Amino acid sequence: MPKIHFIEHNGKEHVIDAEAGKTVMQAATENLVPGIIGDCGGACSCATCHCYVDPAWADKVDARNETEEIMLDGVMNTESNSRLSCQITVKAELDGLVVRMPASQF
Amino acid sequence: MSTELSWDPYNTELTKNPYPTYKRLREEAPLYYNEEHDFYAVSHFADIESTLRDKELFSSRHGDILEFIKAKSVMPDSVFIHQDPPKHTAYRALMQRIITPKRMAAVEADIRKLCARSLDPLVGGDRFDFITNLGAEMPMRAVSMLLGIPEKDQEAIRQSVDDRIRTEAGKPLDIEHNKKLQDEALSGFDEYIAWREKNPSDDMMTELLQAEFKDPTGETRRLTRDEITNIVNVIAGAGNETTNRLIGWMGKTLSEHPDQRRDVAKNLALVPQTVEEVLRFEPPGPFLAREVMRDIELHGKKVPKGAVMMLLVAAGNRDERRFVNGDTFNIHREARPHMTFGQGIHVCIGAPLARLEGRVALEEILKRFPDWEVDLDHAVLSSTSSVRGWDSLPAWIGSKPKNATYSVPKAAEPAPAPAPAAAASAEVTLEGTWNVVVKGPTGPQPATLVLERSGDKITGAQTGQGSTSPIADFKKDGNAIYWCNHITKPMKMKVEFKGELSGNTITGKAKAGFMGSYPFTATKA
Repeated sequence: MPKIHFIEHNGKEHVIDAEAGKTVMQAATENLVPGIIGDCGGACSCATCHCYVDPAWADKVDARNETEEIMLDGVMNTESNSRLSCQITVKAELDGLVVRMPASQF
Repeated sequence: MSTELSWDPYNTELTKNPYPTYKRLREEAPLYYNEEHDFYAVSHFADIESTLRDKELFSSRHGDILEFIKAKSVMPDSVFIHQDPPKHTAYRALMQRIITPKRMAAVEADIRKLCARSLDPLVGGDRFDFITNLGAEMPMRAVSMLLGIPEKDQEAIRQSVDDRIRTEAGKPLDIEHNKKLQDEALSGFDEYIAWREKNPSDDMMTELLQAEFKDPTGETRRLTRDEITNIVNVIAGAGNETTNRLIGWMGKTLSEHPDQRRDVAKNLALVPQTVEEVLRFEPPGPFLAREVMRDIELHGKKVPKGAVMMLLVAAGNRDERRFVNGDTFNIHREARPHMTFGQGIHVCIGAPLARLEGRVALEEILKRFPDWEVDLDHAVLSSTSSVRGWDSLPAWIGSKPKNATYSVPKAAEPAPAPAPAAAASAEVTLEGTWNVVVKGPTGPQPATLVLERSGDKITGAQTGQGSTSPIADFKKDGNAIYWCNHITKPMKMKVEFKGELSGNTITGKAKAGFMGSYPFTATKA
């Protein structure tokens, strides 16, 4: 199983064995990682699964689509590496992926 | 010992504490069928989740309220809560650009001020009503502020919205009546929108007027007036009522869990998780509904195409399969998302605002009143077709006096009309000057009405708020008096006065466009 490193805003790290085919958001919420909420369950409709993808992994994750761009536009504290984690599918190549969480989702 | 399991959303006895029934539903009837009202219901968290995610199988094309789906209600495309993709997608994508976490976070300081304004006058007293003093005021003012609605009109809008979604206790929603109220409420919004178009600002209304979007036919255009009216109506309704109820449930739940309340009061960093736990424990919107689009089988039972599926969010939020000791209120519990904002493409678009308001309200309450005890004997629980919560929730703040008894003060009466002239037989002449007082949402609003007779007709002019405008259609039929006044301040609007003449006084109601009706008194000067 690919391992994902979730780093909370306060620096606390959670290493999760994520199931391929699920999303990074699901890997977080199903393992009770604090800081990712995912209200809409992955419909790209709530923007409560915002995270920062470590720049080293930027090219390996799925690209943003138009809906995600619109959603991210309204999110607080976005950076160039901001993503909605429900739009990133877990796959073998993402083993070791590092994502950081914002101070708050809302 | 077990009685027959029945869950009836119109049973007001059940509304008081539905949770034992929800528990039985989860255990005994995870797919429940109510014969009397002909609907199915799911209560497991996982079933609610999968239902809300499967938008093809479970449709919103006739809305998300039982009565609307049964009536096969069809709404304009822009009422996007009532649509499936692609109609829903077009409007939701637009609104997603306007109702953003960023925009909501930007008004935090303003919302804090609104809370202070509601709460500061109560400091030093011994009673506080979570609804009357805060829930009925702050969320309405916040939504109105975001929309750019002038403050003096705000109470009327909330009242109109509340009336619209209110059901008589124990009765289904009357869709016809509902529609009438809605049409009435909408009639004046046009005037406000037109005014805002000429007076653009940085509010959401201005953005609605100016934003371009790709409509369901693929055309890129601006919203029409009707579309804006519909959207604003949905936003105003959703933003007032639900957060008002959240504030009530915070008051009730934290009163009954004083140890946890003290924990939060000592450490305000616990406020966000406390708000989440109240949202889970007592969701203001306890259930939703969808239309089943094809025959399915669930928990070994068949559900036919066309059936109504109720999703018991309040039951799922306490499902032991997901939440350890789900029926226990625990702000320190594991952080698992609840179902209160729904899920999937229709997930509550205003959740960032609700959470912000909940957090700021609780912080501001705790800063002023770290201790309270709700007075349930004088509280009123309300039941509507989509929302459950308190209409009134008074509390003792600080220490409750021993053996305290309390009688509810009477609501302030409108200024008593001067006693009718003793010799009422000598009918007052209509011509001349009348002092009019409209008991408006923000207090009495004085105006002067000057009437003149020309032949059979009465004409005249009314002065109020520093501007004078001619009146129209003055009628007198026996003692029934009617006139109408087209005002221009604070916005263009028609105000209709209907009253009874008695002695030298006319008392009745003034209907101010979409803002609702208010009592008025006119006394001959």
